[in-house]
Amino acid sequence: MSLRFEDDFLKKLEYLHVVSKRAFAGQSRADRLAPKRGRGLEFADHRGYSPGDDFRHIDWKAYKRLGRLLLRLFDEEQDLPIYLFVDCSRSMREADKFDQARRIAAALCYIGLAHLDRVTILPFDTELGDETQPGRGKGRIFRVFELLERMETEGATDLREVFTAFASRTRQQGLAVVISDFLDPHGFEPGLKLVSSMGHDIFVVHVSAGSDSDPRALGEVRFVDAETGELQDVDVTPALARAYGEAWKAHAEELEKFCGRYHLGYVRADAAAPFDEIILQTFRKGRFLA
Amino acid sequence: MSFGAMAAWQALALLAVAAAAAAAIFLVKVRPPRVQVPSLLLWRRVFDRARELTWWERVRRAVSLAATVLIALALALAVTRPGPGRGPASSGRSLIVLDSSWSMAARTSSGETRWQRAVRQARSLAASASSDVALATTADGLVEGPTSDTALIETAIDRLRPSGGDAAAWPRVPGADRVYFITDGAVARALDDGVVVQSVFEPAGNAAIVAFGARPSLGGSGTGEVYVQVANYAATSRAVRLLVSRGQTVLSDQRADMAAGEAVSAIVPLSATGSARLVARIETTDDALAEDNEAVAWIDGADAVNVSVVSENGAALASLLQQDPSLNVVFVKPAEYNAATGGIVIFDRWLPPTAPTQPALCIAPPASTWLGQPGTEEHGARWVSSGTHPVIAGVDPLTVDVKRVRGYSGPELATLAASERGTALVSVVDHPDRRVVVWSFSPGDSNLSSAPAFPVLLGNTIEWLARPSYGVLRHSGPVELPASTARVVSPDGLSVPVVKTGDRSVVRLSSPGLYLVEAGGSRGVIGVNVGDPDVSNLSRSSLQNTTTAQVAAGGAGWPYWMWAVVLAFVLVATEWWTWQRRVTV
Repeated sequence: MSLRFEDDFLKKLEYLHVVSKRAFAGQSRADRLAPKRGRGLEFADHRGYSPGDDFRHIDWKAYKRLGRLLLRLFDEEQDLPIYLFVDCSRSMREADKFDQARRIAAALCYIGLAHLDRVTILPFDTELGDETQPGRGKGRIFRVFELLERMETEGATDLREVFTAFASRTRQQGLAVVISDFLDPHGFEPGLKLVSSMGHDIFVVHVSAGSDSDPRALGEVRFVDAETGELQDVDVTPALARAYGEAWKAHAEELEKFCGRYHLGYVRADAAAPFDEIILQTFRKGRFLA
Repeated sequence: MSFGAMAAWQALALLAVAAAAAAAIFLVKVRPPRVQVPSLLLWRRVFDRARELTWWERVRRAVSLAATVLIALALALAVTRPGPGRGPASSGRSLIVLDSSWSMAARTSSGETRWQRAVRQARSLAASASSDVALATTADGLVEGPTSDTALIETAIDRLRPSGGDAAAWPRVPGADRVYFITDGAVARALDDGVVVQSVFEPAGNAAIVAFGARPSLGGSGTGEVYVQVANYAATSRAVRLLVSRGQTVLSDQRADMAAGEAVSAIVPLSATGSARLVARIETTDDALAEDNEAVAWIDGADAVNVSVVSENGAALASLLQQDPSLNVVFVKPAEYNAATGGIVIFDRWLPPTAPTQPALCIAPPASTWLGQPGTEEHGARWVSSGTHPVIAGVDPLTVDVKRVRGYSGPELATLAASERGTALVSVVDHPDRRVVVWSFSPGDSNLSSAPAFPVLLGNTIEWLARPSYGVLRHSGPVELPASTARVVSPDGLSVPVVKTGDRSVVRLSSPGLYLVEAGGSRGVIGVNVGDPDVSNLSRSSLQNTTTAQVAAGGAGWPYWMWAVVLAFVLVATEWWTWQRRVTV
């Protein structure tokens, strides 16, 4: 699969930027407001001079007028740490969900790179995979494309294990975007609770497909779990198919409610939906992009 | 219980195996197709959700199992065809009797005839028989077998056709312990116990000529008349056209709208001259049986007969013979006798040196090498009737007074009438090559020329010698004829095989029409008509009153084993439908 985007679409992406509800401290200067005052160009405030302060920031005009030494403070503009979690479990293989997830990751990555954010791509399945930081600047996007194209689906989903491993590494707080179908046999709640408790701003991208809610088969069939290989003989009747569809709907609503309860951003991305529409409309409506 | 297709143990084994196999197939776990799903997480939630089962859902599987076994049993029953039998089926002979009456030629609603249905059933029975099979018809008796060679039976079935027959005739085969009678029940028969009747009856509308013949006119015209009766054995009225013809001349052409069940009679006057052949034909639509739409009759005495009287003085004969317009009489002296003369010859007290080729009446013949020798003379002989031969039928012996007679005897002569002392008065030679009647006395030696018996005896003699009357039969089948019968020609001009049995000849008249019978130079005619209220009324069947026999294969309704097949299909369709729609979950 090719992740290359059209130039027009890339232009549109450059006008977007990832919205974080909170300001996080970055490592490098960028164009995103940091929580602390620093050496930016935008004047922010005054405070009383303390010994040790850089006297270059003393506002001499104010001293002349007020007779007190005041220090000029400026906004610090730094980069935003963005952690892109891409679900690479075998359940994502169904109905182009994985392709859609990679396209979304590529687009978000491009937006982050275009705004000099520090993007980290973390593939995961049962465990957290090797993370990749493509660097800064949108010129790095091609490296991201190659990385995403090399990704393959493997293993099952275990969000709790993944986020436990993520928490074990020293991290700067930032925006964590989890792109997954959230079909975790252990449930999505423990993992999301864990990553939420780490102080990150969490944004959930629920990738779904029509086949997730529709069994597509009637009669006696043997279902094979794509992730675990487990077998289940089922006599699928219309009533049972309806019950399954309702169960999937309940699952999706449950995820959305969970995100609302824990103040996590939530967007559902249908694998069959046009990608441009998801990025330019759905994500903006979800206030994930602005 | 017995089984129509196989031995009981085989049938029971088949039923058991079918039921067991059906149950096993139902219960066996068939590997379903594999469908990959992203996760079974949500399916487990669906399964774990407590769901109350309805009563039908709880028993659905058991009902489905029962239906599956029932399907297998229904199909097995259709194959084995059980029926009430005489205990366990034996391996003895089977006799298949086909009703070959003309009603079996009737068309059914499906277009095929009852006979075709019967043949199909007979083939099925023969194919499923476990031992020897014999094939018979009510008209022909035993046709083939007993044999285990199915091909022979099949070939024999192919030869068979409806050909009437005697209602009383019933074929029997020694050792046959299973007798199947395939019939429409049109002709009532008294059946033996244990005969399995398989019906091919289906009501059908039919119009027929049920009576036809010629008779002397009751109006006193002295010529005669034709009577004909047409019946409409249908549930609806119909237009019928009736044509009566004599030879090539149409005597009557009538049309009538006949109500259901109505019978119409017609009388057509006959002229004194004309062909002896009479034909009546009806034309109508939607008629189930064509064979009874035509009837034939023969006017006795209508054909002229040439009579040569060889006599020195034939005055006594002349006064009588010249009264009959149907006789062309020629009197010749013995010296003028020509052996090539046609017709019949009357030798009056004289015989040629060689036997004549034509039928002959010899009156008080002299000794002859080819006929016989006169015996001792008897005076005042008293006639004693000695039989019912056509020559002496109706002759009143009490009116005959024979003054002098010389009994005549010969190697081929059979005495018909003799005196009290045993002197032959009337004797005959009844041989395929010639017919000869010998009067041992002359009219001059008796009162014969003035006795009432004289015209009767002379008329009988001429009729028997020239044109014997065989009448019209109401049914076809085997007919007994005199031993002298040389040839029988069917209506289509073919010779009918003549079987000699002792003093009789037997021929099988298998189709309606006029048959020519040649015997010793005489030429008689037998008419065969199909039309008969028993045969032509195709709306009724005697099987409705059959209590001892089993009606197994109705023509109008299906046989029960076909219903078993239908039941199986219905169950299969129901199972398939419920399975497809998943109405059970």
